[in-house]
Amino acid sequence: MELVSEFLKKVSFCQDLNESARSKLAELLISKKISAGAIIFREFDESDCLYIVRSGRIIISKHVQHQVDIVLTRFHPGDCFGEMGLFDTSPRSASAQTETDSVLLRLDRKAFQQIFSDEPEIAARICYRLVTVFIERLRATNDQAREAIRWGLEATGFSVAPEHAPLGRRST
Amino acid sequence: MKYFMADPAKLELLNRSTDAGGFEVIRIDSLRAYSAYKPSRLPQSDWEVTAQPKSADGTRQFVLRNLRQDSYVLLNSREYYLWNYLDGRHSLEEIGRAFHLAFGAFDYLLIRQLLTKLYGCGLLESKRLLDFQLNRGTLPDRRQGSGLRRNLLRWRAMSLRVPNADRVCSLIYERGGFLLFHPFTFWLCLAAALCALVLALPFGQNASSFAYFLKTRPWLFSGVMVASLVSASILHVLVHALACKAHGRRVRELGFFLLQGIVPTFYADVTDIFMSSRRARITVDMAGPMVEVVLGSVAILAAQAASAGLAQALLLGIGLALWESALLNLYPFNFLEMDGYNILADLTAMPMLRQQALALIPRLYEQGLNFKRLARAEWLQLAYLALCLISVFIYVILHIDGLRALIRL
Repeated sequence: MELVSEFLKKVSFCQDLNESARSKLAELLISKKISAGAIIFREFDESDCLYIVRSGRIIISKHVQHQVDIVLTRFHPGDCFGEMGLFDTSPRSASAQTETDSVLLRLDRKAFQQIFSDEPEIAARICYRLVTVFIERLRATNDQAREAIRWGLEATGFSVAPEHAPLGRRST
Repeated sequence: MKYFMADPAKLELLNRSTDAGGFEVIRIDSLRAYSAYKPSRLPQSDWEVTAQPKSADGTRQFVLRNLRQDSYVLLNSREYYLWNYLDGRHSLEEIGRAFHLAFGAFDYLLIRQLLTKLYGCGLLESKRLLDFQLNRGTLPDRRQGSGLRRNLLRWRAMSLRVPNADRVCSLIYERGGFLLFHPFTFWLCLAAALCALVLALPFGQNASSFAYFLKTRPWLFSGVMVASLVSASILHVLVHALACKAHGRRVRELGFFLLQGIVPTFYADVTDIFMSSRRARITVDMAGPMVEVVLGSVAILAAQAASAGLAQALLLGIGLALWESALLNLYPFNFLEMDGYNILADLTAMPMLRQQALALIPRLYEQGLNFKRLARAEWLQLAYLALCLISVFIYVILHIDGLRALIRL
């Protein structure tokens, strides 16, 4: 398997980092193998780290009712998730589960704060890229909301486009 | 009409198994959910339905009225079959299966179009969605395009209405209007019309002298003529409305609008007469032109009594103009939905004859002008269109001089 610092080139929020910065970041990451179907974190769990998918596929879902969740998205190698946990102490907003055997790289909030204090320039570059990640996800959420509404309209037969001419008689 | 329809929207659900760890992802598109949807119509106290007479192709249509919001929708026999299943207990899948057994085939588009109709008419229990649909009309619509187009649409929609039209008509009907629909009145009018017709014939010999009198006072003649026609038009629609009341149905509106966005016209909205018999509808259709016939007859009888001169010429001119107006009104083949057209639509039991006929042409083109597949009702629609075109052509030929003069002006 390639070196972690090399792999980080493919990670969106590390795009602006040079080799030495990536090496420093790689030292702070904890690698973890997880088998398919395992839960990484559940919705409302404590949130204190970000994950980078090194291999495998992760499914993110949100509880709807009973045993049923709605699938929000899937993450593939090079993607990161749980980024809110780096900044926010609120509980997890969704659940993450492996869909296949996976390897994850974990960045703890404490480690991230250490980058902030020791290497503010690297932290700024990471933050800048993370903002673009947030923006992309916000856009994706909007699209998903629209799709869910369209789904509801279609499922109730409400979305058929052509309007009918009502029956009427105007005697002239 | 062709319209773009996107792929069905999809939702992915993650279904966790009760034992630890396992899950299954299910992808459900809206069509699949749609087949499990159980549409529910309004309670029976909120709607009424009337079967129409059988049309030329042997099928029967039904008029469904929403009593809550006073709207009407026309259903064909297949749609009516489906309507009976929309009781909130049957899913669309079950309805489709039942339909398939009854008619041999089923297309989901049919039920989607029906549901759109029913939503639009407020006949299905789904208030929130209905409100959404109704509110949609108040949002600015980008499709309306340029200001010119918007103004044209506004112009076409322009109308003036009498407030509480039904109440006004009820009062007039109760306070003497009912006499108009007594059989004695009918025979009296018929006798007057026949007398006037017999007496009008000899006037033809003196046509040049009448024309001379009228040419001496053209503005007076034009003014009196316009005033007579406008007054007759107002009475015409009022009598339509009273005829509707005579059959115990509601007059929805009484007012003035631009027919096809062009012709200034008084109108009475007597849609509720669809809930009565065909005979009642034809009575309502005939009642209006009878006003012109009777008033024209009275004018001609008065002309007969008057001494030769301008007054006689004016009365005769008014009488003939009113008769002509009645004839034009009763002529069904002019692309306009006037009384003659309504009578034709009632006789053929095709209440949307004009719209269906106009929609048939693009459909025929799409089918490569394959006339062999046309049903009997569609042949009738084609015949209606052909007669309209021939009539308009003949009208233009007959009035070519007048049209030239109009263009020169």
